[in-house]
Amino acid sequence: MPRRKDIKKVLMIGSGPIIIGQACEFDYSGSQACKALREEGYFTILVNSNPATIMTDPGLADVTYIEPLTIETVTKIIAKERPDAILPTLGGQTGLNLAFFLMRAGVLKKFGVESIGAAVDAISCAEDRQLFKKAMQEIGVDVPKSGIVTSVEEGMRIGTNIGFPLILRPAYCLGGSGGATVYNKQELEKFLLKGLEASPVHQVLVEQSVLGWKEIEFEVMRDSADNVIMITSMENVDPMGVHTGDSIVVAPAQTLTAEEYANFVHLSKKIIRRIGISGGGANIQFAQDPANGHIVIIEVNPRLSRSSALASKATGFPIARVATKLAIGLTLPEVMNQITARTTSFFEPTVDYCVFKICRFTFEKFPGSERILNTSMKAVGEAMSIGRNFKEALQKGIRSMEISRFGFGCDGKDKITDSMLLKADNGLMKLIKDKIRIPNDERLFYIRYGLKAGLSVEQIHKLSRIDPWFIDNMKELVELEEKVKGFRNKEGDKAIELPDQLLGEAKRNGFSDRQLAFLLNSTEEEIRKFRKKQNKKAVYKLVDTCAGEFGAKQPYFYSSYDSSDESRPSKNKKVVILGGGPNRIGQGIEFDYCCCHAAYALKEEGIDSIMINCNPETVSTDYDTSDRLYFEPLTLEDILNIIELEKPIGAIVQFGGQTPLNLAVPLLKAGVHILGTTAESIDIAEDRKHFKQMLHKLQLTQPDNGTAFNFKEAQAVARTIGYPVLIRPSYVLGGRAMEIAYDEKALERFIKEAAEVSGEHPVLIDKFLEDAIEVDVDLIGDGETFVIGGILEHIEAAGIHSGDSAMSLPSYSLSQEVLDKIREASRKMARELGTRGLMNVQYAVKDGQVYVLEVNPRASRTVPFVSKAIGVPLAKLATKIMLGRKLKDLGFTQEIIPKHFCVKESVFPFNRFAGVDIILGPEMKSTGEVMGIDEDFSLAYIKSQIAAGQNIPRKGSVFISVRDKDKRPVVFIAKKLQELGFRIYATSGTAAALEKNNIAVEAVCKIAEGRPNILDLMKDGKIQLVINTPSGRIPRQDEVKIRSQVILYNIPYTTTIYGAQATVNGLEALIKKGLKVKSLQEYHKTKKTRSKK
Amino acid sequence: MKAILMLEDGKSFTAEALGPCPERAGEVIFNTAVVGYQEMITDPANAGKILVLTYPLIGNYGCAPKFNESGRAWVSAVVIKESSRIYSNWQAKYGFEEFVKKQNVVMLSGVDTRSLTLHLRQKGWMQGIISTTNFDKNRLLAGIKNYKKEKLLPEISVKTIIETGRKKAKHRIAVLDLGITKSLIRQLQALGLSVMLCPYDTPAEEVLRLKPQALIISGGPEAAPEIKNIEENVKQLIGKLPILGISTGCLLLAASLGAKIIRMKLGHHGVNYPICSPTSYKGEITVQNHAYAVDSASVSRIKNVKITAINLNDRTVESIESKKLRLTGIQYYPVSPGFDEVNPILMRFIKMIKK
Repeated sequence: MPRRKDIKKVLMIGSGPIIIGQACEFDYSGSQACKALREEGYFTILVNSNPATIMTDPGLADVTYIEPLTIETVTKIIAKERPDAILPTLGGQTGLNLAFFLMRAGVLKKFGVESIGAAVDAISCAEDRQLFKKAMQEIGVDVPKSGIVTSVEEGMRIGTNIGFPLILRPAYCLGGSGGATVYNKQELEKFLLKGLEASPVHQVLVEQSVLGWKEIEFEVMRDSADNVIMITSMENVDPMGVHTGDSIVVAPAQTLTAEEYANFVHLSKKIIRRIGISGGGANIQFAQDPANGHIVIIEVNPRLSRSSALASKATGFPIARVATKLAIGLTLPEVMNQITARTTSFFEPTVDYCVFKICRFTFEKFPGSERILNTSMKAVGEAMSIGRNFKEALQKGIRSMEISRFGFGCDGKDKITDSMLLKADNGLMKLIKDKIRIPNDERLFYIRYGLKAGLSVEQIHKLSRIDPWFIDNMKELVELEEKVKGFRNKEGDKAIELPDQLLGEAKRNGFSDRQLAFLLNSTEEEIRKFRKKQNKKAVYKLVDTCAGEFGAKQPYFYSSYDSSDESRPSKNKKVVILGGGPNRIGQGIEFDYCCCHAAYALKEEGIDSIMINCNPETVSTDYDTSDRLYFEPLTLEDILNIIELEKPIGAIVQFGGQTPLNLAVPLLKAGVHILGTTAESIDIAEDRKHFKQMLHKLQLTQPDNGTAFNFKEAQAVARTIGYPVLIRPSYVLGGRAMEIAYDEKALERFIKEAAEVSGEHPVLIDKFLEDAIEVDVDLIGDGETFVIGGILEHIEAAGIHSGDSAMSLPSYSLSQEVLDKIREASRKMARELGTRGLMNVQYAVKDGQVYVLEVNPRASRTVPFVSKAIGVPLAKLATKIMLGRKLKDLGFTQEIIPKHFCVKESVFPFNRFAGVDIILGPEMKSTGEVMGIDEDFSLAYIKSQIAAGQNIPRKGSVFISVRDKDKRPVVFIAKKLQELGFRIYATSGTAAALEKNNIAVEAVCKIAEGRPNILDLMKDGKIQLVINTPSGRIPRQDEVKIRSQVILYNIPYTTTIYGAQATVNGLEALIKKGLKVKSLQEYHKTKKTRSKK
Repeated sequence: MKAILMLEDGKSFTAEALGPCPERAGEVIFNTAVVGYQEMITDPANAGKILVLTYPLIGNYGCAPKFNESGRAWVSAVVIKESSRIYSNWQAKYGFEEFVKKQNVVMLSGVDTRSLTLHLRQKGWMQGIISTTNFDKNRLLAGIKNYKKEKLLPEISVKTIIETGRKKAKHRIAVLDLGITKSLIRQLQALGLSVMLCPYDTPAEEVLRLKPQALIISGGPEAAPEIKNIEENVKQLIGKLPILGISTGCLLLAASLGAKIIRMKLGHHGVNYPICSPTSYKGEITVQNHAYAVDSASVSRIKNVKITAINLNDRTVESIESKKLRLTGIQYYPVSPGFDEVNPILMRFIKMIKK
């Protein structure tokens, strides 16, 4: 049926900041949707608070709002833009929930907005546990025994009736947050409380545990003519009990019979029809008892999801694009399959390879959190790999994770070595068994240890409940590893003698050159030479949606060591872009944004773009972002294979974050031309000694500093420069293992970890400038001209990682003199480094003095933010510069200082890591960011806070408890709060300070001082805002409790005095002026007219 | 042991065989389904073929007698990328390799089945030969040329009329057995029918003498030489009772009506084929296994017969119908949608009887 003509304007809601459970897959799906809507001629209005997305690039939608995703702001946007329809299924759980709440608030009805893609009824049916259960029973689909509860008492009664173990799932929560598996009454009570709080509708499903059952997922689509197709099946390697977002997943399912497969398909069809999705897709999760095949349904996501992004990348089927087209009334037979360009979307993709998805965790960032996996998602990113068999895909998948592992063990990085395993005692065996039994992020490696230590497939299956088929495949790898090891060189001369057949077998099963080098006692380079001599080269196969049945026009590639190569290197000039790999804290969507822009710029310059990346959530791995996409791990071996095949004129390494940057020197050594800033310059910036020399030459100041390899050296440095000192490893991103030491004891504690992370490079030790203002500068240069992209002033004082700080562009408090100093210093350094492309500098400003903290000769995390703030696509320009263009020709020679304020705020995953303190420090902890824009700084700031999920109150009570140092500045804050009509609670010390300044305050008990104490007040909902700065270096136990309670009850909070000031000013502006919405296009229109003058 | 697959155009693939085997020739077809290897191997429609599976991991869930589509395996050989050394599924009784050995099917593994598939896609269908003893190109090519097609239908079809299903059923139907699958029989039984399986060459009058209320012409090997001989039989039955032709049965029915049958370049072998009525947006994803098709222009010239579904990818005819003659022909497999339920097309056919 032709597209709907009664709709003209469509509103799309994005998913907001990157958080655990909701990552850049929604940028990928949202961008596809925007493109699809405009292709069909609809006027598209987009709202998303995340500036680091491709979808918020002006040009993707007709009107783009970077505004908080709240009912209030979206209502204002609807009132202003008057869309005919809202498409809520592309923006993750956030978008879906928001649409649902808009409906409940009557906004959709009032403005005559129709929900397309999933009718509101369909959303309720899938999301409301009770309706869902009823619906499933109606169509004869079994659900686990369960009850929906709205109180702890009810939960206890129903739970004990069903019997333990039980699974708790709060309603309307994404990524299973607040979910838990409980084994006894105590745990049940504890988690009921937590779950009820976590659910926005105070509803928890208490459910029979199907722990250890197979977890099978199906991606299903249905159109308005009732055509239903399966995109793919997926099987979780980790059985039920581990959130699917944390599980290792394979596609297609590997251990289902044809009959079972048909049964699942049949159920999926019934379910999508009953839920009532009639123009979109759904992800359906089943559990199956491996002993008798009994199937129960776990849940249905009536929207694009993380799994659908994976399914899309695994098969080549652009689910988001097709779902959007179905939402506006087209049917599957009417939508062409762009991969084949000759078949329609009405077919079921089939594959001739095995897809493997593995997750990236960051437990190391949250000391004190338990390193186990359960039903609450904890992964921050994922990588996908493709192989001709499971073993190859598994090994590639591990390589793709960028955890410095090069396959399934035997890469020289095993925690437990072969010799330890040979004489494994009971203690070690217990450790191995425990690590296999209790799901955790290292389980795969422990399965290998178990296999090597003599555990049988059956034993490991019993411990882990992982299907024996997967375990046996791992065993095959272990056996192959032993076989290869039999040819180990004992001479130490690196010579290789490996039978040709065995080399082929090892490569076909995914062994990397690094692993072979370790096993054979040689080097990666030697193995590579040997391999080439033996003519064992990677060939490239296609992801073509149809297992080769049809020719493919726009496929993508994966490597294998099979017989024939299907790559199609063009004769055009081409450039390789190295992507950023899996998302992690410190390296996420911002870098993918830059990589995409590099591809767009190459297209504009008429050069073929070749993307290498392995992150299925991204826009960069979309089939139409680059000319050729290689879905491969970002390791030297894998990249060189592609470069040798494609022979590009060069490679872009400065956009994908630290991953490709770290490969710059090895690639250069291997003869690859690095585009833009030279590898030598990169080295100057990253190498402390060279850097110091450069600053000296340029007469720039940096905090006193030194380098050290061990504690003794560190001690000497610290004594010369004086405490406090900042310790950090070189060549890392996201402030990994970065700490501030105020004394020698702390120094000793921190230095060990830093040295470990730093590896062969020294640890850097800087004098820490307390209370300095930090500044980030993004600059673009062409080797001759250097233009400031933006100067970003941090809101929090120095000592907090720049990735975690709130920042304002333009600066809101620095003097013109200081700003000019910063500009001059930045240009000087850029000139000295010969910057061709992007560069980021961090400064600290104290007492009018400007200190250079660090220089990164690459795209920084803030590039997308700055680009949106000033309306100039910096990454695109930088790419063109790398190809030889000049800024003058590109028309960007002058810094743009916007009249409006843009504030970036970070978003943290603390609610996932129970018991972890939420204070900020030099190690980055945030997963994502939001942007607040307004003409007024205070309003921009408060918008950023609201966008970051802070439920900012306009009246009520504020709890204040600050350290002594902050007691003076807090007086001003408290006064203002009082003027604004807030009631103030404070602990005794702070209360005394406030009373002295004539502020009415109610003293409240600290936790140890009796009850009711502050925790009780929070529990009772009497506190609407918390201002709590940590008292010392080692936070007091009760402070930590207060702060974790804040997370539990989702009370807005700030842990720095600067943050508090900005918040209170923002509150004032919010109350006095109210929120207004304005689109990016409107902001930039004014900018353009100004720059014309 | 080392083995070879030689195609008639001289392209060869080396492989591993489980043990020595006699040279076998046959038409090489590829199937793109991910699961269902046992069903494909035991489907009589694949008799004599060299079956290439594009999914690279075979045997993961093992094999069990209940998944056999007929009494034995029919393919000459199965060509795969990798066979799983263990199997894992609660229903499995034995492994894939054990199954092929028992069934005397030659399994060639270690073949880059994707590049074999691409080769066939570009060149079109062709014959091939497998060997573990002879690796000489010319001798192998000669082997393909001299290969004499074995008699298929006399082997495959029931030898005498066999009754199955309910004894005292409301409806009695006859099936002309060109190679019926067990899964179809199960569906007919589930419909509560009394079913008489007739040898493929049962004369028309004998079929009518059984007084069936309807006739199904089953699927089977399309290229079987015997099919031509029974066209006349079918012609005599047209109009006398409702007839459902399935897959090869559909071709036979169409040919008996006077339609032209064409050989496709590759055919359709898989589980993901979209069909759609020529006049609506509503379609269905179907299982297909045919290399011949009813020529659509020739159908339009036949009175009272119309095309009711086409394949969306290449617009070949997938079903025909004549309300007047009470005929339905479906080129695809009317598989059970799951949980032993019955395919809607069979239900519709039963309704036709009731009228």
